[in-house]
Amino acid sequence: MLKKALSDCGIRIADCGLPIAIAEFGLRIAEYPIPKLLAAIAFRNPHSETRIRNPNSAFRIPHSQIRILPSAFRIPQSLMPYLYNTPDDQREMLRAIGAESIDELFAPIPADLQLKRSLDLPPAMSELELDRHLQMLAGLNDHAAKKVCFLGGGSYDHFVPAVVDAIAGRSEFYTSYTPYQAEASQGNLQVMFEYQSLITRLTGMDVANSSLYDGASAAAEAVLMALHAHPQRRKIVAPASVHPQYRETIATYLANLDAELVTLDCPGGVIDADALAATVDGDTAAVLVQQPNFFGCVEDADRASAIAKTAGALLISVFDPISLGLLKRPGDYGASIAVAEGHTLGTPMSYGGPYLGIMACDQSLVRRMPGRIVGETRDRRGKRCFVLTLQTREQHIRREKATSNVCTNQALFAVRASVYLAQLGPQGLRETASLCLQKSRYLAGRLCENDRFSLAFAAPTFKEFVIRDAANDVDGLLRTALEAGYLAGLPLAPWYPELSDCLLIAVTEKRTKAELDGLVHALSAAPARQEALS
Amino acid sequence: MRNTRDTQLLFDLSKPGRRAARLPACDVPERPPEELLPAGAIAAAAPALPEVTEPQIVRHYVNLSTQNMSVDTHFYPLGSCTMKYNPKRNERAAAMPGFADLHPLQPAETIQGMLHVLYEMQQYLSEISGLAACSLQPAAGAHGEYAALLVAAAYFRDMGQSEQRKRVLVPDNAHGTNPASAVMAGFDTVAVKTLKNGGVDMADFYAKLDDRIAVFMITNPNTVGIFEPAMRELADAVHQRGGLVYLDGANMNAILGVTRPGDFGADMQHYNPHKTFSGPHGGGGPGAGPICVTKRLAPYLPGPVVEKELRGASCEAREDEIAPFSPLSPRNSQLHRYSLTSPPKSIGRVRSFVGNVGVLLRAYCYIRTHGPDGLRAVSENAVLNANYLLSRVKHFLPVPQGDRCMHEFVASGSRLKAERGVAAMDVAKRLLDFGYHAPTVYFPLTVPEAIMVEPTETESKETLDAFAETLFRITGEDPQLLHEAPHTTPISRPDEVQAARQPTLCCPVF
Repeated sequence: MLKKALSDCGIRIADCGLPIAIAEFGLRIAEYPIPKLLAAIAFRNPHSETRIRNPNSAFRIPHSQIRILPSAFRIPQSLMPYLYNTPDDQREMLRAIGAESIDELFAPIPADLQLKRSLDLPPAMSELELDRHLQMLAGLNDHAAKKVCFLGGGSYDHFVPAVVDAIAGRSEFYTSYTPYQAEASQGNLQVMFEYQSLITRLTGMDVANSSLYDGASAAAEAVLMALHAHPQRRKIVAPASVHPQYRETIATYLANLDAELVTLDCPGGVIDADALAATVDGDTAAVLVQQPNFFGCVEDADRASAIAKTAGALLISVFDPISLGLLKRPGDYGASIAVAEGHTLGTPMSYGGPYLGIMACDQSLVRRMPGRIVGETRDRRGKRCFVLTLQTREQHIRREKATSNVCTNQALFAVRASVYLAQLGPQGLRETASLCLQKSRYLAGRLCENDRFSLAFAAPTFKEFVIRDAANDVDGLLRTALEAGYLAGLPLAPWYPELSDCLLIAVTEKRTKAELDGLVHALSAAPARQEALS
Repeated sequence: MRNTRDTQLLFDLSKPGRRAARLPACDVPERPPEELLPAGAIAAAAPALPEVTEPQIVRHYVNLSTQNMSVDTHFYPLGSCTMKYNPKRNERAAAMPGFADLHPLQPAETIQGMLHVLYEMQQYLSEISGLAACSLQPAAGAHGEYAALLVAAAYFRDMGQSEQRKRVLVPDNAHGTNPASAVMAGFDTVAVKTLKNGGVDMADFYAKLDDRIAVFMITNPNTVGIFEPAMRELADAVHQRGGLVYLDGANMNAILGVTRPGDFGADMQHYNPHKTFSGPHGGGGPGAGPICVTKRLAPYLPGPVVEKELRGASCEAREDEIAPFSPLSPRNSQLHRYSLTSPPKSIGRVRSFVGNVGVLLRAYCYIRTHGPDGLRAVSENAVLNANYLLSRVKHFLPVPQGDRCMHEFVASGSRLKAERGVAAMDVAKRLLDFGYHAPTVYFPLTVPEAIMVEPTETESKETLDAFAETLFRITGEDPQLLHEAPHTTPISRPDEVQAARQPTLCCPVF
């Protein structure tokens, strides 16, 4: 059948190769299983063509000439690694159903709506081929072990202890689902209850949910909570020192609602208290404060909180969980809602997701909180146990009247964060925070020994800081540093045009003195553009 | 073997002075924190986290894990959730440092392999849906619904119709996220009735369809597990009125390579890669919620999206010239470059960074493992398994929708309830005793005493036979025994009313 299909196109089987396989793996057709060849060739898009290559010349097969092969030639089930049904099983099951064929089961789909060809996707790969393919792709990426990472801005290269991977790698955790059946999910439920408890202790807040998608969407959900709590107030105030992507996310969430996001300029790198007081008014539902802020600077959170409270607005704190080893907790400065990006608690950077949205709030707001919440109760025999609770807030009960559409949480990352916090303990968290502080301040000091560099802002910083390049050549600096093996920092121009001569540099506990000194050396060695210096 | 004694809370294990982590000594000159930070910003003490050792942590969490049912340990026919096997090769791939240790704001030239995966995923998902464009941003199915509705709102605003088009029509058997997402996106929702077979009640649909429609949201195959009989007519009617059709892609596992939402009238859809493409469910998450839309909606997609540039030329223009080569063969890597871009009229971002790439990477592995025919085989076997189980169950648990289904079916326990006083919940709880996770119960709300079963394709006929026999046996058991079930699980039925009435949501600090 294969030979015929190909000879219809004027090609002898010995002559042709499988394009994708050749290019990627150097396989010749003789080594390739026939069903895979069919998958690759016979089921291509009928409107285009497939090129078949042989060592000497190239043939193009118009797809109109390729016949769709009968179902007898579909890939045998045995090649699909996760399917059980043998042809005998299928026959027996069809007999029990009273159907002639599997195609008959799809008869309720009108024939003219059914796809008459195979999907135009690459052919199936064995595990070995897939592994080789992924190794090749992964090898094209400069990951943190290849380039020393000084990037921050909401994602950080913190250390992940082995115990976190070991526990999260338990498939009883990662292959289970939302604990609707409490009796069969006490493991997940207790972990989430403990996670909520750990987050309340970490933040000093009354209650926490069992997690949201990520920091930015958690901030947007917090804003919606505030608007619901203050139905008469329509204004949200966010200083420019709050992560620009968080502000963008909030703006997206508010686009179709009767509410306004007011951005407060922060020319000094921190909130100007007088300007904040002038902006916050009786129409303000909430004020956001990021601590430490996007520039790494430590805000006067007490002051911002007092301004918000005076106007009757809620304070939404966007905090860095690691910083709470040293800094005051959101609950200590009167936040009503506290949200954070929690990936730093035991989840690697993972190119930005999935991450962990932490949310905690004041007791008075608990019934407005989105997402899953786990509570303690007793079973029939009086034994302590845990269940999903306050579900009347949620979409599966309340539909359009729900507090939010959120259905899933990031339970597996709540496991990771819990194990991480348990592993560190109070002392470990304090030491981690302290290492971030000491090392980042050391690096800032060393860089500023060079006249070319200065700190952009005077406010004290925690683990990130903004450095200004007097030569105004941020791109050149980054290029030179990359060649020397460093991801030196984030250029701020895309978000803050006025800071186009600035770099945001982050330092975690993982960075060694040798790496810090190496970065100083690399940046100091960067040639400055002539016109900028003159 | 489960350690039934160990049910203490993490906090009960704490003892002052214990610790698990030891950090390296500070290798730079240290200064007291009080010199470096404002006094008012420093905490008086570190947070009251438990003080435990690493062996304690491991024993605690490993023992807790054994109190879960999971796909790796039990048959998990939870309807609507597609609890299929989660391949181990995908887990290993996602943990590769070349993917896991990438910062989301790295320069594009340092992450071409990652961007290749994401670009390809955009292409694959578009092809599978029959829709032109894709955004990988949303973090979950509901988040995808919400993002797509924002896309629709932006489109109508651009058309000057946002004042007129405020209504989102949602069948009453849809997932609760549908109406909740519509309200968050600023629309009013209108519920449309459905018939006993799960199909839309056309009379009610036409009664509610007028020029105020913005979006009609439909799950197809629907939550009852049938392919909407009037799909074509519904889509045509919505389009005639100038509205858009949204497909809730929760049930894509039934139709991969068989039919495509874009071909049956959808303008937008989301995927649940954690269901359809085997990304694990993680005890409730993370998932992902990529969305696909038609060409005219593409400019409004949430960004960033991945773009492929071919040495200055546009990708399509020269695609044929590189067809024989892998995108990343040595010759080809010179030819193009991936980058991130925001669609021209984008609604903006709905979260930080690009998306839940760890989940998408697993989905990429799944699609590459199966290829086009493998994906079709997935749906064929999912539908075969569900129909087979339906054929075995219908004799003792009526299935109102009829004798055939797609990937799942909804049996009704109403006769059991009437004749023996046994509720769907009793059946669900008793199944736990026999080592099966319960099906979804009491959803959809339109089927009384609903028992929603989705076996998936990664189960054997033997498992389905044993499950059906157990279910049959349960329907004949002593009602009292069933009311008190489960009997063998780590806990018996919890008091949910007390949990909600007097919420205890965290462990107090003593």
